[in-house]
Amino acid sequence: MQKNRCESQITDLFTRQNKEKAISGIWLGTALVAVITIILILGFLLKEGLPAILEIGIPAFIFNEIWTPTSETPSYGIYSLIIGTILVTIGAIAIAVPLGIGSAIFIAEVAPPKFREAVKPAIELLAGIPSVVYGFFGLVVLTHWLRISLDLSSGATWLAGSIILGIMALPTIVSVSEDAISSVPKDFRSASLALGATRWQTITGVLIPSALSGITAAIILGLGRAIGETMAVLMVTGNAAIIPDPIYNILSPIRTLTATLGIEMGEVAIGSTHYHALFGMALVLLLITLIVNLSATVILARIREGQIGSSRAPFLSHDHQNQIKSILLLVILAGLCLFSYQVVGIFGIAILTAILALCYGGLRILSRQSKEKIAFAIVTSATALVLFALVAIIFDIVSNGLPAITWEFLTEGPRNLGRSGGIFPAIIGTLYLVIGAIAIALPIGVGAAIYLNEYTLEGRLTRIIRAGNDLLNGTPSIVFGLFGFAFLVIFVGLGVSLLAGQITLTLMILPTIIRTSEEALKSVPDSLRHGSLALGATRWHTILRVVLPAAAPGILTGTILGIGRAAGETAPLLFTAVVFSKRYLPTSVFEPVMALPYHLFILATNVPGADTQKYGTALVLLVLVTGIYAVAILMRRHAQKTVRW
Amino acid sequence: MKQQNNALETQTLNLYYGSTQALIDVDIQIPKNKVTALIGPSGCGKSTLLRCFNRMNDLIPDCSLSGSILYHGEEITGRSTDVVELRKRIGMVFQQPNPFPKSIYENVIYGPKVHGMKDRKELDAIAEKSLKGAAIWEEVKDRLHDAARGLSGGQQQRLCIARTLSVDPDIILMDEPCSALDPIATAKIENLITELKEEYTVVIVTHNMQQAARVSDYTGFMYMGRLIEFDTTSVIFERPKEELTENYITGRFG
Ligand SMILES: Nc1ncnc2c1ncn2[C@@H]1O[C@H](COP(=O)(O)OP(=O)(O)OP(=O)(O)O)[C@@H](O)[C@H]1O
Ligand SMILES: [Mg+2]
Repeated sequence: MQKNRCESQITDLFTRQNKEKAISGIWLGTALVAVITIILILGFLLKEGLPAILEIGIPAFIFNEIWTPTSETPSYGIYSLIIGTILVTIGAIAIAVPLGIGSAIFIAEVAPPKFREAVKPAIELLAGIPSVVYGFFGLVVLTHWLRISLDLSSGATWLAGSIILGIMALPTIVSVSEDAISSVPKDFRSASLALGATRWQTITGVLIPSALSGITAAIILGLGRAIGETMAVLMVTGNAAIIPDPIYNILSPIRTLTATLGIEMGEVAIGSTHYHALFGMALVLLLITLIVNLSATVILARIREGQIGSSRAPFLSHDHQNQIKSILLLVILAGLCLFSYQVVGIFGIAILTAILALCYGGLRILSRQSKEKIAFAIVTSATALVLFALVAIIFDIVSNGLPAITWEFLTEGPRNLGRSGGIFPAIIGTLYLVIGAIAIALPIGVGAAIYLNEYTLEGRLTRIIRAGNDLLNGTPSIVFGLFGFAFLVIFVGLGVSLLAGQITLTLMILPTIIRTSEEALKSVPDSLRHGSLALGATRWHTILRVVLPAAAPGILTGTILGIGRAAGETAPLLFTAVVFSKRYLPTSVFEPVMALPYHLFILATNVPGADTQKYGTALVLLVLVTGIYAVAILMRRHAQKTVRW
Repeated sequence: MKQQNNALETQTLNLYYGSTQALIDVDIQIPKNKVTALIGPSGCGKSTLLRCFNRMNDLIPDCSLSGSILYHGEEITGRSTDVVELRKRIGMVFQQPNPFPKSIYENVIYGPKVHGMKDRKELDAIAEKSLKGAAIWEEVKDRLHDAARGLSGGQQQRLCIARTLSVDPDIILMDEPCSALDPIATAKIENLITELKEEYTVVIVTHNMQQAARVSDYTGFMYMGRLIEFDTTSVIFERPKEELTENYITGRFG
């Protein structure tokens, strides 16, 4: 009898162990999805793109500036597109970085705490505005305004692209750098002030250097968003595949890699050289983002190392730092000169020189208290400008969109190419896409996070998984679109369908969900786990009953952010799931659907004279996505306020 | 005549955090070129008083005060006081060592640079002088450009003292400078404090009775926002006039 019980306990134990093994196997499987995806993406880009690159020849492909794939004698050089991508990004960074950091300083250090409480979540909310909405605003308002005020033949220019991308990147840059600045320990601030430094000296001398890694990360996030952006650039840059002449002519139209993919992929004959060249182009785009992300990682690591202290020589010696500072200053000056020359003419340079001379003189004479006042005034105006730009966009869309919102508009199908009727199928299509994507991404993402955080120690495997996840996270959305087309639509044979769109979106939001879930799991203290394990609960049981409930708010926040992103995306759906005008709802997942962002895109670019409908669609999309983000932000605040562990 | 010997002096100083009063009618005279210790149970207002002297309380929202604080006979509570200049003259060392996340060298020259010094040779000289003054020069002279955060806690605290010396103050305020340190590091800092009084006036807050007895010339005992007794350290520790003081230093209260 006694023996029997022992035996049964032991068999129990075996099955329990097997069960644990099986469960951990499942989580390993989910954790590998991201890695497998990135390998598949690379594989398909290589498979489809490499032959074309080799056929055209690497030098002719990369360094030839003539891109005329559809002419009699086609030429497949992407040099001007690469330059276009770089130039638009530089412009965006030049706009977004000073404004963004200025505002972050203002919000973190200068503004009264009440202002900060109110503005911080608002700015986070703005980070969720879909890119197609920015593009729409750029197309309808900004390019128009530029054309009139600068007296151009067309406002669709490099400048317009950079402004729109800059504004798009601002919320992220402001929010992340503000976090970095305000999380600098209070001690540093007190120590500096106690030495007799002014507040401004404290900000520039201690706070910003201490927050440097966070601020750099913010800039890189913004940079990544700018390089990978498709829809907004496509709508405002004019898309002429030329190198601006002279190279600093910001009023020239320009065309980026992403825009080319967005425009041409839908119309190209599958299997042609042009088709393969587009995949080659996507490969180059992916490599560029890869290089940016890699160097960012290296720089961040070095900055952190330098602050914590290490035996290695400092990243840059003092003299080098000074040299770099002066070079940067020169470059900025030159940029300003060229900019003002280009926009205002020779007068611009004169005015600029006068202003600079004044500044320089001022810096010499003024006391540091007056300097502080001026600096505060500057960061205040930067913040005002940022808020103004964002409020202007929202106001424009809300005030023009409201008249379009009628019962009919929300509940009926489009007629006459969207010029009348409603957007009901687009709303439903977007819901279907998002629900499907989340339903697949959530279990996989949470599973991967559980595997990384609960089932394994840090080692080579987790490093590979994390690297795969980072790579996937940095992949431009249009590349997901191409991959979805080549793999899901053609290779797997799903066709242009709801399902293909859902899977493509899944892959795109997976990294966000994995990362936020992992953070949520990490913030659950070990004592909770140990308490449960010490009671004899299995690991799985502990996770299910103790860890996951504690981490639920964090996971939910990540999920909602994922939903918001999926709802606003256009580029990944262009060739995988959407059609423009479809009166009826899909009856199966193998049918194509309408989607709000795509509907807006086509209305804005291809359908003249549907102004109310355009604005109405933009408004619905804006409300939908920012609404989702608002829920996420509120939930996070709530979770932060309720008792901490 | 008497005033000249006081580096700092308060008259009926009352201080409020919002509506709670943290200092009540404090009258204290801090003698020049001496070490003055402030002792008292937790929450009695020692740090608050210390922060009045270099106006660090300005940074605390809704903190208000009445009464006057004189620095070498000059009123410093007014709006017209140049706080930046005042803080340069009255340095402060904090409880937790708080070097900036910069190199050792950059930490020491931060103050002079902030006050407008640019010349590298001068800065080098100041760095060396301050680090020597804080008795840490020998330990760091070969790795001036290493990150300050890589130093031990005791070294970090001495670096912070060097950083305070670098702007050539005449008063140094120390708020429990040794509470985060081990006995050896503490001994080094105590030695340093006795040396510092040659050139500086030192005000030190401490919870450690022996430390107060060892390093200070004068001691003030505070209790619930009031300065109960102020006298030479030997009087306070050997024959205090107030019963409260006696109870406190003999450890007879909680
Ligand atoms: N920033 C603040 N806001 C509100 N009240 C404060 C603040 N700082 C201190 N107080 C209050 O003022 C009183 C005196 O505080 P203080 O820090 O000066 O005491 P202390 O003597 O330095 O104590 P300890 O020995 O623990 O450092 C305490 O009751 C404290 O709660
Ligand atoms: Mg204190």
